Amino acid sequence: MRSIWAVATNTLKQALRMKIAVVFVVLLLVLLPAMAISMVGDGTLKGRMQTFISYGLSLTSFLLCLLTILASTYSLTSEFEQKQIYTVLTKPVRRFELLLGKVLGVILLDIGLLGLFSALIYGITIYTPRFVKAGEAELLQVQNEFFTARAGLIPAKADVGDEVEKTYERLERTGQLPPGVTDSKIGRENYKNALASQIELGKRAAAPGHELVWEFNNVKPIDPNESLFVRFKYDVSMNPPDLHVYGKWLVGDIRQAGSRVGTPVYPFERRDLIRTFYEIEVPADAVAEDGYLAVGFFNDPRFNNTVVIFPLEDGLEVLYKADSFTANFFRGVLLVFFRLVLLACLGIFASSFLSMPVAILLCLIVFFTGTISGFIIESFDYLSKNASSLCSYTIGPIIRLLPQFDKFNPTKFLLGGRLLSWSVVAKVAGLMIFVKSAILLLLALVIFSYREIARITV
Amino acid sequence: MEYAIETFSLTKVFSDFWGRQKVYAVDNLNLKINYNEVFGLLGPNGSGKTTTLKVLLGLLYPTKGKSIVLGGDSSDPKINARIGFLPEESYLYKYLNARETLDFYGRLFGLGAKVRKMRIEALLDMVGLRAVANRPVGTFSKGMARRIGLAQALINDPDLLILDEPTTGLDPIGTRQIKDLILQLAKRGKTVLLCSHLLADVEDVCDRIAILYGGKIQAKGKVKELLQQTNKRQITTGSISDRSVERIKQIVENEQAECTVTSPMDRLETFFIKTVVAAQQQAQATSGAVSTTKIGDFLTSGPRAGSILDKLVSAPVSRQGSSDKPATTEEVSPVETGESEPDRQLLSKLTEPAEPVPPEGVVKPEPVETETSQQEAEKSILEQLTERHTSTDRDENQGDSHKGDAGDA
Repeated sequence: MRSIWAVATNTLKQALRMKIAVVFVVLLLVLLPAMAISMVGDGTLKGRMQTFISYGLSLTSFLLCLLTILASTYSLTSEFEQKQIYTVLTKPVRRFELLLGKVLGVILLDIGLLGLFSALIYGITIYTPRFVKAGEAELLQVQNEFFTARAGLIPAKADVGDEVEKTYERLERTGQLPPGVTDSKIGRENYKNALASQIELGKRAAAPGHELVWEFNNVKPIDPNESLFVRFKYDVSMNPPDLHVYGKWLVGDIRQAGSRVGTPVYPFERRDLIRTFYEIEVPADAVAEDGYLAVGFFNDPRFNNTVVIFPLEDGLEVLYKADSFTANFFRGVLLVFFRLVLLACLGIFASSFLSMPVAILLCLIVFFTGTISGFIIESFDYLSKNASSLCSYTIGPIIRLLPQFDKFNPTKFLLGGRLLSWSVVAKVAGLMIFVKSAILLLLALVIFSYREIARITV
Repeated sequence: MEYAIETFSLTKVFSDFWGRQKVYAVDNLNLKINYNEVFGLLGPNGSGKTTTLKVLLGLLYPTKGKSIVLGGDSSDPKINARIGFLPEESYLYKYLNARETLDFYGRLFGLGAKVRKMRIEALLDMVGLRAVANRPVGTFSKGMARRIGLAQALINDPDLLILDEPTTGLDPIGTRQIKDLILQLAKRGKTVLLCSHLLADVEDVCDRIAILYGGKIQAKGKVKELLQQTNKRQITTGSISDRSVERIKQIVENEQAECTVTSPMDRLETFFIKTVVAAQQQAQATSGAVSTTKIGDFLTSGPRAGSILDKLVSAPVSRQGSSDKPATTEEVSPVETGESEPDRQLLSKLTEPAEPVPPEGVVKPEPVETETSQQEAEKSILEQLTERHTSTDRDENQGDSHKGDAGDA
């Protein structure tokens, strides 16, 4: 243990004294305050805060990622190039101790710098509203929609499997299937998938005079005196002349209709632009004691003559405050930290068998593919539908082993004041640290323990 | 546990990328090094010396055969904890200063803070880098880096010291010091494996040597046996009259042997040390290493207890009692007094191991023949180097050295 710690502190000293870290520190110390002053976003206070926290945190994360890659690869490859490793490994130091020491040293560096810069970002974010002239309404909006950690509930996806099968059989019987569908299995699957989304969408559409009701369980706002928010976006089958939809809404426990009212049910009538997000603020006491909440929408035929559709993925959502901004921010920083740990392990892994430039190149490639992993996985899934199973059993898992930085991007949560729950954090930690980092470190240890230290590879 | 180091047909072949065997760096090497022995591994460049060391230390894996170090495997931390290694160049962390460097290596040995601090200070004193202990070692000259490298190899007070070209880049005083140190350690029962092509160094300190060429041992044995010219004798006397010389010549010629009479030359090493000590005496500032004759007390402290200085000078103390005051200050003493007497005593200490009569307890007495042949070799090369501007000095100094020699003889 002592030697791990000795190597770790030495690595830390190296990163600081070789001025690898200094460049990044100076850059961030200049850029962050400059961004706070110059970025105004869409002009509102909320927009300003959102822009700052999104760019500030992304920039910090990006630069620290680069720094981690550089520091970790340099710290191990320089041992080989400058041969200090000859004097280290001939001391009573096991090879795994050297590797762990290196990783630990880089992580210590990351903890220090991430702590410093996230504190800076946090401070600037918290104090910005005091220095910016903003009206009451804007301040309230920021309180409700930014300085918060709201959990979001989306309606459960309807199970349309049976309906799809029935519809398909009916179409097949009546011979209404498009030509070519029945030729192959893949054709049938594709057609059924299309049918399924069609039917699902049908369940999220209301013709004039019709209504839609969504029911939610497990709504748990931390304070019943606060508000909860129904966030929605209208889509339409045919654009109304003024591009607006007139909606009647009911939010509350509708199970108690007719009987004595225990919790209030709040009605709203509003006129909103189509294809734009809106939030209806509802007092949180609308939620029944057992966490039940229903949201009803009525397409008023007096004003609308179009079918109103709530898009599948983000058409409707119920938001409520579940935690404080500070706690949420802290968890967001943790996500960045996991990313850095993973990269530190990656750097050490790469330099356990590669020379400095190649190791850095490998790390950068993994890093950048990690930031677009969503796209890569999606396109692979799309392409591999037609590919052989061999392909999907070999490349598939490898692609999924890539770090998924974009999927666990903290700014996504912080921008909209969305709750980043501990369970998500734990899941990311498990995946990034206890699976991917651990695999990388293990591989590095195996490679490293078989490597001939004094062998010069050109 | 019979041998400190033992190898069994140790072979190391370097292959290229495709696995084709290219170079036999070490070829079927059977080496046995006893405990408490100073063993020299000699050979021209590329003869496999360093490769052998690296295999012994586990930095390279043998292609064939195996090696046992201190009765075990060198990848075992318990064994490593008893080894001190100085690689062929001092590979140091440029950004650490001298003290931090030693501290780092001390931590790797798991030494406690107190012991570490004590040893670091003692070693810094010993290698004469205390004044520059807070400078990054990246700014050090080659010799200074070498000194720190040596200090790191000693921080664990090793039982086995493996030194690869220990004296490259060192000034003559540093070289002398390393040689003294090696002898000291041997005296304390340590084993030293020395790898060098600087023959003079090896000759001065080694008990046994092996000469490598092409990865194979070409010759091995005791230095004394290998070098002694049994058909010659040398007599060294004090200043005697020409008449006596003639009489001695007469006696020799009576035995039908050839006889030449010359005044012995000072070794250039001796002369150099003398000059530097004189400069130190005048307290001239240097930004480099301060050469001292100190040896870290934890290295020299045997079973017997004694004052630090006793230990510092215990090795080179000459028999007729240089164990006197001048050496009892912590720094090299000359500052204390401007007289020449203590100066010479210090010198005699510095040069003692090269004197014909070795101090008691040094494992291997130096053959007289060695001295002569070496002197002659030095003379021939060095004369050309130094003739022009030192010839007069030498004449002057010859008198001095005579006095010194006479005192010791």
